Amino acid sequence: MLILQALLNGILLGGVYATFSAGFSLIFGVMGVVNIAHGEMIMLGAFVTFYLFHLLGLDPFLSLPLSFGLMFLLGYLLQRLVINRVIGAPPIMSYILTFGLHLVIANTALLAWTADPRTITTAYSGASLSLGPLHLPVVQGATFLFCLAIIYGLHFLLNRTQVGRAIQATAQDREMARLMGINVGRIYALTFGLGAGVTALAGSLVAAFRYVEVGMGLPYTIIAFCVVVLGGMGYIPGALIGGLVLGVVGSLATAVFTPGWSMAITFFLLYLMLLFRPAGITGKGIVE
Amino acid sequence: MRRLVSLALALALLLGMGLGTAAWSAEYKIGVAVPLTGLFGKDGELIRDAYTFWAETVNAQGGMGAAGKKAQVKLIFRDDMSDPQTSAKLVEQLITGEHVDLLLGGFGSGPIMAASAASERSGYPMISGAASSNKLFERKFKYYFSTLGKATDEVKGAVDVLFTQNPKPQSVAIIGANTPFTADACQGFKNFAEAAGVKVVHFELFPPTLQDYNTMLEKAKAANPDVLLVGSHLGVALRVMKAMKEIKFAPKAVAFSYGPTVPAFVQGMGKDAEYVFAASEWTPNLPYTGPLFGSAKDFNQAYFKRFNRYPDYVEAATVAGALAQQTVVEQLGLTPPIKAEDRVKIMEGLHKLDLNTFYGRVKFDPEGANEAHPPVAVQVQDGKLVNVYPAEAAEAKPRYPMPAWEQR
Repeated sequence: MLILQALLNGILLGGVYATFSAGFSLIFGVMGVVNIAHGEMIMLGAFVTFYLFHLLGLDPFLSLPLSFGLMFLLGYLLQRLVINRVIGAPPIMSYILTFGLHLVIANTALLAWTADPRTITTAYSGASLSLGPLHLPVVQGATFLFCLAIIYGLHFLLNRTQVGRAIQATAQDREMARLMGINVGRIYALTFGLGAGVTALAGSLVAAFRYVEVGMGLPYTIIAFCVVVLGGMGYIPGALIGGLVLGVVGSLATAVFTPGWSMAITFFLLYLMLLFRPAGITGKGIVE
Repeated sequence: MRRLVSLALALALLLGMGLGTAAWSAEYKIGVAVPLTGLFGKDGELIRDAYTFWAETVNAQGGMGAAGKKAQVKLIFRDDMSDPQTSAKLVEQLITGEHVDLLLGGFGSGPIMAASAASERSGYPMISGAASSNKLFERKFKYYFSTLGKATDEVKGAVDVLFTQNPKPQSVAIIGANTPFTADACQGFKNFAEAAGVKVVHFELFPPTLQDYNTMLEKAKAANPDVLLVGSHLGVALRVMKAMKEIKFAPKAVAFSYGPTVPAFVQGMGKDAEYVFAASEWTPNLPYTGPLFGSAKDFNQAYFKRFNRYPDYVEAATVAGALAQQTVVEQLGLTPPIKAEDRVKIMEGLHKLDLNTFYGRVKFDPEGANEAHPPVAVQVQDGKLVNVYPAEAAEAKPRYPMPAWEQR
């Protein structure tokens, strides 16, 4: 029974992993930028939700549009003013730049908000449905549905809309896209905004059932990296597959062995994938 | 003759300057390396407030020293940015650059571990009230003291209060984050449970970055313990409570080593914080009284008057540390500047000290931990932290057992 419950917990966790990794994958896929400040987007989204809840009493799920909007704007501006300078430069440049961004954002947040963990408790926090002997926490269940919707929405946007096709075209061949009349600079900024916005949504969602603190970002960046390698760099549905695999493996490891093993096995999987299948489980990832 | 006059003048000038210098230095310079930014920035501010409160109280009464030899106290704070190496460097700089008379400890086992190694080398006593990792004491330093107990002993209050309940719990599950302070706390839980003849049915440490708390707690639940004991900081305490509710895990009681005494816990968890026990070192209702501040209650009120907030137990412990050092300086009848040989005497005096204060008894064991401090436990009742142990001084009876989640 513990195993079944761990499986369920792992799937719920996987949905969250997928959502905050999708933006990471998108940004890498289109721009070739590994965004080390990715976790900070999650943290900022979580703080937006926290403050809307505490200052205005706004339900965490209702804060999603604002969280997306604010972070889209920040992402758009960051790309235009900062990230754009390293597009096309060797990857190490983007590592250094986004690592710097990570430090700047995390430490500014530390100055502004201090290191205290904060939490959101609503009337329905902690409620759970009983499925026989299994517990399905309501907030985590709802979060999972939102996550599926976000991944699907992102996939739909990329494949079925004009902007999405432009983004894909830019990802495939920047010069050719430019010749076809696509404003590549604008597409890059849009992509980064979109990535940041979706990532902030994940932050807002986890704020509802975990805690919010300025140092929460980096562990998420590391997990996003593992998820995206598993699912295939730059392939959005791959984030869902990678997220579910990592979520389930982590929870099962916790149940069967000890919680310490969940991270160890995660990194072991990462190692195996990089060694034997660098394009991800689906083989649709980008390998450079 | 002229030469003689000028020599005399020069001598007078020098003497005057000397006297002047003596007059200016008629104060105790006390250095503190404390985190004001970084991970422990917020906590470090509490420590700064605590020492400031002590110094202002001392200075308002004429200063530190035996009657007739009092001198003002001047605190010199340096921000160690929560970094151990910086903390050690700043302590060295305070000693060699600022020529401070005395030191006091900052915040956090990591920074204080490094800072106290520097002060030990220079023969400066350092008392802290905000670090309790067992490793601090295993070094057997002569000049390091703490008004807190060791981390393994600090949880005693939370265990004692539970094991005096009726019916007595027969089994405990122990979980905790695998970081030095919280792992020590778990070891303490285990030692005290075993000593009380209570079975430990589940013991598991988890990485602080653990993602899925629900599965980890399902395992503890499956062991069906009467009581859950958690080695925690605030963040871990928050996540454990949330996960317990989600999986409907309601043992007879849950107790945390640290976290619930931070106001953010009750503020953030709301009604779900009810019934939670936590270990503590001090609460203002305890019947302690001593020099300078009067009773625990008086201290609490005066602190509120100064900062518009009530002190945490860490702040009380920090003030008690400054008070302990002050007491020894006064016993020895020292005056500033304090010389190296005086500091040896202060160190020896501290080892012999047995002092009753508003914070309780302060008596250091040979390793420098406060061995005389009685264990204290608090419980969240009706949205407030109330002292429930030791029983003779408790504000309220513990609420035990905790009802099932559906019934609250």
